Amino acid sequence: MSDFARQQSEFQRGILAGDDAILDEILDSPRENRATLFGVYRYAYGSRLVEAMRNDHELLHLYLGDETFDEMGHAYVKARPSEHPNLRWFSQGLPEFFKTADPYCNHPILSDLAALEKSLNDAFDATEAPVLTLEDMAGFAPEVWNDLMFKPHPSACRLDVRTNAAAIWMALKNDETPPDATSLDEPSRLLIWRQDTTPMFRELTAEEAMMWDEAANGIPFGVLCEMLATYDDPDGAAARGAGYLHGWITSGALTSVSAGE
Amino acid sequence: MNVASKLPDPSVAPPADPRPSATPPFLGFGLGLRAQHYDEILNSHPPIDWFEVISENYMLPGGQPLRILDRICERYPVVMHGVSLSIASTAPPNFEYLQNLKDLARRVEPKWISDHLCWTGVHGKNLHDLLPIPYTEEALDHVVSRVQLVQDFLGRALVLENVSTYVQFNNSEMTEWEFLSELSRRSGCWLLFDINNVYVSAFNHGYDPLTFLNGIPADRVVQFHMAGHSHMGTHIIDTHDHPVCEDVWDLYVAALKRFGRVSTMIERDDNIPPLDELLLEVNRTREIAERVLPSGKLAG
Repeated sequence: MSDFARQQSEFQRGILAGDDAILDEILDSPRENRATLFGVYRYAYGSRLVEAMRNDHELLHLYLGDETFDEMGHAYVKARPSEHPNLRWFSQGLPEFFKTADPYCNHPILSDLAALEKSLNDAFDATEAPVLTLEDMAGFAPEVWNDLMFKPHPSACRLDVRTNAAAIWMALKNDETPPDATSLDEPSRLLIWRQDTTPMFRELTAEEAMMWDEAANGIPFGVLCEMLATYDDPDGAAARGAGYLHGWITSGALTSVSAGE
Repeated sequence: MNVASKLPDPSVAPPADPRPSATPPFLGFGLGLRAQHYDEILNSHPPIDWFEVISENYMLPGGQPLRILDRICERYPVVMHGVSLSIASTAPPNFEYLQNLKDLARRVEPKWISDHLCWTGVHGKNLHDLLPIPYTEEALDHVVSRVQLVQDFLGRALVLENVSTYVQFNNSEMTEWEFLSELSRRSGCWLLFDINNVYVSAFNHGYDPLTFLNGIPADRVVQFHMAGHSHMGTHIIDTHDHPVCEDVWDLYVAALKRFGRVSTMIERDDNIPPLDELLLEVNRTREIAERVLPSGKLAG
C-alpha cells in the first residue's frame, strides 16, 4: 500500500471510528489545535448524513421529533456507512434497519412508515415510461381481451404493511395529530405509483391486490378473472376485473398492454 | 504469437502530453440551480446567464428533477458540477459512477463538467465530504493519472475546484497552489477557482489568499465560485449557507484583475433564500466585473 493510500485509510478511520492516529500526521493551525480542526470533518460526516435522512423521511422526522430522529439517524449512520456515491440512496436501508436494530425493532410502525416513505421517494424519480390510456385499450376486439397482459408503470410498486402506517402518514401529511400506532389483523395492501410527477398511494382490497400482483406477473386478463371468481361472486368477476383495470389505467399505474402469444 | 511483443515498450514511449482542449467559453454570470427555485425560474425566466447543476442530483432514473433539468437546458447554458468523483481517492475508480456521469452529460450537453480536487472515501465507503490531500509528489502523480483516465473515459477535459480545508498534512512537499498548477499543466485539466474556498483555507492555515491567487496560472482558470461561510473565531467552515462576505468580494476584485474575464457564479447550498436575494448577488458579480475589467473585456 502506498503512503498516500495508507494516509487516506487512517484519515477515514479517524472519521468513522474516532481513531486519533491521523492526528500525528496533521498540523495545528496558527489559531487552533489539530484535534479541533479534524473534528470539523468528524462532525460534518454524521450531521450531513442525518440531514439527508431528514430530507428523505420528512414525515418520519415529524413523527419522531428532532431529538429521537437524530439519535436514530446517528445509529443508522454508524450501522450502515454509505457505500454509494449518491446521497439519494443512503436511506434505502432504513426500513430493514428498523426491523432488526434494537430498540426500533420493538416498534413495527417505524419500519412500515419508513417503507412507505421510501416507496414514495422511489416512485418520485423512477424511470420514465409511457402511461397506458383508455384510448390504447379501444383498439382491442372483445375476443382478444382474455389474452391481454398488462405491464405496471416502472414507478408502481406494492407494499404490505402490518400497522396503521398509512393512516399515520396521511395525518402527518395533513398536519393533523396522528392516531396511536396499532398492529393490524390483516395487512394493509398499498399500491404506490407516480401520477405525472406526483407520487401517490392508495389502499387496495385483498381481491384487487391479488389481481394487481398477478397482472404484474404477466397473468392474462382472462385468467385474472377466473382468479377473481374465487374471491367473490363468480358472475361478477369479469366486471370487477374490468373495474379494477379501469382504475389502474385512469390513475396512470400501467405502462403498456399486449395481446400475448 | 507473443502479444506483449506487439505492444509499445513503455520504457521508450514518450511522456504523454496532456490532451489539448479548446478553452471553455465565457458564460457570463450565473447561479447554482436549486430545487427551491425551480418554479420561479421556469415561470419567470430570470435574467441569469447560465446555471450550474449538481450532477448527482440528476443521476436518477427519471421523474420531475430530470424533466425540469431538460427544460432548464432548453433555455439556459448549463455546466455540471459533481461532488462524488473522488478524483484523489486511492481506491479504484468507480466506473459505474463515471458511466452515469457520462450518460447525464449526453443528456445535458454541459459547457463543461467540474468536480473537486479531493477524495470522498476508500474501502468501498463514501463519506460524502470533500476530504483534503497531502500536497506530495506521490499524490500529484496519482491524481494526474486519475485525471487523465477520467478525461479519456469522458472524452473531455475536466474542470477541478480547490476545496476548503481545515487541516494540513505534515508531509506536504509543496503548496496547494503549486499542486493545482502542476496538476493542470500535466493533466490538461482546467481550474474552477472557488474564491470563498481560497479565503477559508487561507484563514484556516494562516497564509495570504493573494499568494494563493497569484500562484495559479492565469490561463487555466475557467470558472469562479462565490459563496458564504461560517466563521467560528479560530477557523472558518465552508457552509455555503450565508451571503458572500465583504472580504470575499474584495478577493473577487483581485481575482478579476489577475484572471480577467471568467465565468462566475453564486453558489448557495443551504439556508436557501428567495431567488431575488441571490439575483442581487449575481448582479453584483456582474457589476464588479464591469467596473474592474477594462472596457470591452466582458463582451464576446
